[in-house]
Amino acid sequence: MSADLPVLVHWILFLPLGAAALQALLLRRQGALASWLSTGAAFVGAGLALRILLTSEADVRWHAELARLGEISVGVGYLVDAHARLMLFVVTFVGALIHLFSVGYMADDGARGRFFAGLSVFMFSILGIVVADNLLMTFVFWELVGFSSYMLIAHYFDRDYAAAASRKAFVVNRVGDLGFILGLAFCLSRFGTLQFEELRALSPAGGWPFALGALLACGFVGKSAQFPLHVWLTDAMAGPTPVSALIHAATMVAAGVYFMARIFFLLDPSLLQIVAVSGAGMAALGGLCALAQTDIKKSLAYSTLAHLGIMACALGLGRPELALLHMAMHAFFKATLFLGAGSVIHGCHHEQDMLKMGGLLRKMPVTAAAFIAATLSNCAVPFLAGWYSKDAVIEAAFHSGRVAEAALLSVAAVATCLYSARMIRLVFLGTPASEEASHAHESPWTMTLPLVVLGLGYSVFGGMLATAMVPASALSTVAGPLGAMTFHAAAPATVVGLAALVLGVLALRFYTAEPGRDALRDRMPRFYALLEHRWMDGLYRWYVDSVQRRVAELVAFLDLLLINGVLVRWVGAGIPALLGFLSGRAFHGGQARAYAAWTAAGVIFIAWILIAR
Amino acid sequence: MAALPAQLLQAVVATPVATGLLLIAGRRLPRALGDWIALAGFVLPAALAPWLLLTWTDLSIPPEAFRSGGPWGFGLSLNGFSAPLLAMTSIVGLAAGIKAMTQDVEARHAYLGLLLFMLGGTLGVFATDHVVGFYFFHEFALIPTFILTLFWGGEGRRPAAMQMAIYLTVGAMASLAGILLAVDAAGLDWAGATFEGVADALLAKGAPRAAGALTLFGLGTLASLFPFHSWAASGYSAAPTPAAMLHAGALKKFGLYGLALLGLTSLRVTEGALGGWLLWLALGNTVLIGLVCLTQVDLKRLVSWSSVAHMGPVFLGLWVAGARGSASGLDAAVLLMTAHGLSCAALFLLSNDVRVRAGSYRFEEMGGLASRAPVLAAMFVAASMASLGLPGFGNFWGEIGVFLSLRAEPLWIQALAASTVVITAVYTLRAVAAAFFGPESAALARRAEAAPFGDIGWTSRLAAGLLLAALVAVGFMPSLVTDSTNRVSADVVKYARPAAKTPSAR
Repeated sequence: MSADLPVLVHWILFLPLGAAALQALLLRRQGALASWLSTGAAFVGAGLALRILLTSEADVRWHAELARLGEISVGVGYLVDAHARLMLFVVTFVGALIHLFSVGYMADDGARGRFFAGLSVFMFSILGIVVADNLLMTFVFWELVGFSSYMLIAHYFDRDYAAAASRKAFVVNRVGDLGFILGLAFCLSRFGTLQFEELRALSPAGGWPFALGALLACGFVGKSAQFPLHVWLTDAMAGPTPVSALIHAATMVAAGVYFMARIFFLLDPSLLQIVAVSGAGMAALGGLCALAQTDIKKSLAYSTLAHLGIMACALGLGRPELALLHMAMHAFFKATLFLGAGSVIHGCHHEQDMLKMGGLLRKMPVTAAAFIAATLSNCAVPFLAGWYSKDAVIEAAFHSGRVAEAALLSVAAVATCLYSARMIRLVFLGTPASEEASHAHESPWTMTLPLVVLGLGYSVFGGMLATAMVPASALSTVAGPLGAMTFHAAAPATVVGLAALVLGVLALRFYTAEPGRDALRDRMPRFYALLEHRWMDGLYRWYVDSVQRRVAELVAFLDLLLINGVLVRWVGAGIPALLGFLSGRAFHGGQARAYAAWTAAGVIFIAWILIAR
Repeated sequence: MAALPAQLLQAVVATPVATGLLLIAGRRLPRALGDWIALAGFVLPAALAPWLLLTWTDLSIPPEAFRSGGPWGFGLSLNGFSAPLLAMTSIVGLAAGIKAMTQDVEARHAYLGLLLFMLGGTLGVFATDHVVGFYFFHEFALIPTFILTLFWGGEGRRPAAMQMAIYLTVGAMASLAGILLAVDAAGLDWAGATFEGVADALLAKGAPRAAGALTLFGLGTLASLFPFHSWAASGYSAAPTPAAMLHAGALKKFGLYGLALLGLTSLRVTEGALGGWLLWLALGNTVLIGLVCLTQVDLKRLVSWSSVAHMGPVFLGLWVAGARGSASGLDAAVLLMTAHGLSCAALFLLSNDVRVRAGSYRFEEMGGLASRAPVLAAMFVAASMASLGLPGFGNFWGEIGVFLSLRAEPLWIQALAASTVVITAVYTLRAVAAAFFGPESAALARRAEAAPFGDIGWTSRLAAGLLLAALVAVGFMPSLVTDSTNRVSADVVKYARPAAKTPSAR
C-alpha cells in the first residue's frame, strides 16, 4: 500500500495541472466543459487525499533530482506527514466544493475557461506547497500560488480596480518572497541543505540562527497577509467571490501558516515572540476594521486578517498544532462565509454593499442558514468548529501567562462577535434596503449544496467530527491539541468567549437602525473613520510616489545626463573624428554604413595579421 | 569525413548563410520562391540545433564527433555552454524569421537575407571554439544588424544605428585587442587558439592584465554592462522587430559567452580590482537599470531597457563563478542566458503585435487590449512572467541559481541582487496592465472603429508559441540545459581559480 502512496500524490498534484493545460490549449471557448473538467479533477483529488488521510499512517516520502546547478542539487520530492495529510485534505475538500460552487456562480461568465484553468493552476500550486519535501520546491510552488492568485484577481481585467488589485497582490507578495529567497541562500550557506528532514536532523550549536527564521518568515508575512504586508488582501476581493473563498480565505493565505508549522523547528524563540505579538495585534486590528466596511467581501477579508493573526499568534506561542487546527477550522467556516456572500451577491444582482441588503433570511433561506451557522462558528459558539480552535489559542495565551497577547486576542474575540452580528443584522434581518435586495432569489443547487455541506456539516460539526471520526493516529495534529486542552466554565478563554457572545447579541440590537444606515458610523463617526482609513496603504502610496518614483526618475536623469549625454557624446564625437582623421575623409553623423564598413575592415585586417603569423 | 553531429553542426551554420546569400544575390527571384528559401534557412537550424543539444548531453558520444575543420583555418565544434545557446539561437531565429516573413517590407529578399546572415553569424558564434573564429562570426552577424536597423528600423533609427555602431565597434575592437593580446601571450599558432588551448597555455603564466581589462569592458559593452549600456535601449527600440529579437535574445550573449569561456578562464577577469569592478557594475545593471525601467512610458523601450537590467544577474553569476569558484553561478548564468534569449525575443515579438493594434508603443495610447486580443494578452502575460522569473519558465532556475550561488556574500549584496524580483515585477506588471487591462482606451476604441482588428493570427501564435514552449520545457526540465553546462562549468571554475589543473573537453 505504502509503495503506491507517492503515485497517489503524483495524481493529486498533477491532475489539476493536466486539467489546466487542457483548458488553456483546447477548451478556452468550451466554458461548461472546462468547468466540469476542473471540478471533476478537484473531486478526484479530494477523494485521493481522503484515502491518504484515512489509510496512511506512515509518512509518504519520494524524491528525485531535477537538475544540478554546480554544487547545488535541485530536487523535487514529497514529504507527506501528519500535518501535510491534514492540509491535503482541507485544501482538496474545500477546493472541490468551491469548484462546484463556481460552476453555478460563474455560469454566465464569458471567460469560464480561463477562470477554471486559473483555479486548476492554483490547486496544483497550493498542493505543491503542501507536499514539498524541501525549501526550494516550496518556494517554487509559493511563487506559482502568487501567480495564480494574480491571474484570478485579474479575472475582471477590464475594470481598473481589478487590474490594480492583482498587481498589488503580486508585488506585495514578492516583497515577502525577496526575504524568502535570502532565507534559502542563508540556509544553504550555513547548513548545506534545503531538505526539511535533513535540516530537522541537524541541531546546530547555539540553536538555529534568528536570521534564518526571520528571512524565511518574510514569505509567511507576505503570503499570509501579516503586518506590514497585509495591505493586498482586502483589495484582492476584486476577484470573483469563489476565488476569495478558496484562495484569499481558506487556502493560500493559510499556506503561510502551514509553512511556518513546517519549519517550526528552526524558528528562534525570540522570533516567535515577535510573531505572537504581531499576530495578536493583527487579530485585534483586523477584527475592529471589519466593523467599518460596508462591502460584505471586504468585511470578511478583514475577518480573515484577524483569523490569520490568531493563527500567527498560536505559532508564536509555540503551538503550531493549534495554528494548524485553527487553519483547518477557519478554512471550513470562512469558505462558507465567502461562498454565502457570493450567493448573496449573486442573488442581489451583484450588489456587494451590505447597507443595501437586508431581509434576505426569507428570500434566501438555505444561504442564510449556512451563513449564520458559519458565523456562529466564526464567533466560537461552544461546540461549533471555531470554538475548538479559537478558544484553544486564547486559552493557550492565558495559560502561558502572555498577558498582552491574551488581551489582544480577547479584543479580537469581541470584535468578531460584533462584526458578525452587524453582518447578520444588515444582510439577513430587517427589511430590504434596495431594489436589488427586494428582488433577491435563492441560488441554484450547485451553489447551495457546497454551502450546506461546508456550512452546516463542517462549520457546525467540524470539531466534533475531527475528534470522533478521524483516527487519532492519522491525525495527531487535530487529536493532539483537543486532547491536551481542557475546557471548563471558569477558564479565562471561556469567560472571554461567552462575554463576547453576549456583546454580539447586544450588537444585534445596536444595529437595528433604519435600513441603509450604519449605527456605529452614525453614533461614533470619528471612531468609524479611524477604523475605515487605510493607514498602511497611505504610507506605501507615499513611499511609491514620493520616494521610489523620484529615485527612479533621478537615476534615469543621471543616466541620460552623465552616461548617455557626456560619455556617449564624447565617444560619439571622438571616435568618428579619430577614424575620420585616420581615413583622411570626413565622417558625418548618421553614416552607419561607413562605421559598418570600418568594422568589417578591422576584422579583415586583424584576421590577416593572425593568419600571417 | 566528419561524424554526423559535426556535419549537422556545419549545416546549422551554413544553411542560413547560404540561403541568405541566395536571397541577396537573387533579388529578382519570385517572392514565393524567396520565401521558401528563407523558410529553409530559418527552419533547418531550429530542427537540428535542439537535436544537437540532446545528442551532446549523451555521454556515450565523444566530443570529437561534434568537431570538424573549416576553410577559415578554424573549425566548428560544440561545448557544454555553446550547445544550449546554439539551440536557443536557432529557436529565436525561427521565431524571428516567421515574424519577418509576415511583415510587408521593401526589398523583401534583402531584408530576409540580411536576417539570415545575422542568424548564421550568431549560430557561428556558438559553433566554434576558436577565440578569433567566434569573434569573426560575431562581426559577421553585427554588420547586417546595423544595416537592418538603418534601413528597416523604426523611429529614430539613424542616430540609434550610429550610436550602436560606435559602441559596438569600440566594444568589439577592445575585446579583439584583448583576445589578441591573450593569444600572443599564450604563444599559440592560429590553429591552436581555441578557448581550451589559450586557457591551458595561460594557466601557469597568466595573461597580461591589459588583456583582461580590454576583454572585460569590450565584451561587457557588447553585453550592455553598466555603464556601457546606452546603445542597447535605443538600438533595440529602433531595430526592426526580428532584428531586435535576434540581437537582444541571441547575439548579445556573445559577450557573456566570451566572458565565461575566455574572460574567466584565460584572462581571469574576476581576479583583483577587475573583479570588484565587475561586481559593482553588475549590481548597477540589476538595480540602477531596474530603476530606469520603472520610468519608461513606451513598451518597446521598456522591453529594451529590461533586457539590459536582466544582464545584471548573468554578470553576477559569472562574477561569483570566477571570484568564488562557484560552478553553480556559471551553470545558472548560462541557463539564464538561454532562457532570457527566449523570453526577451518573445517580448519583442509580442510588443510589436501590440503596436500593430494600438498604433503606438506608448502606454498612454494602449489599455484594455485583452478584450479584443485575448490570446495575445495570454501570451504576453506568459512571456512577462517568464521574464520576471516565475517558476515553470527557464528564467526562474537561472535567477534563483544566481541568488543561491551568491549565498556566501554579505547580505547586502545578496539583497541588492535579489531586489530584481521586486523591481522586475513592478515594471513588468505595470506594462501588462497598461497594455491589456483596464477599460479600453479612447485611442484604442477609435482605432478599432476606423479599422477593426482582432487577435493575433496563427503565425504570431506559432512564433511566440515556439519561444514559450521552449521556456516551459527548460522550466520543467532545467536539466535540458544543465546536463550540458555541468561539466564545463566545473572545469571553467578550475581555470578561473587555478588550484585544479585538469581540463576536460566537455
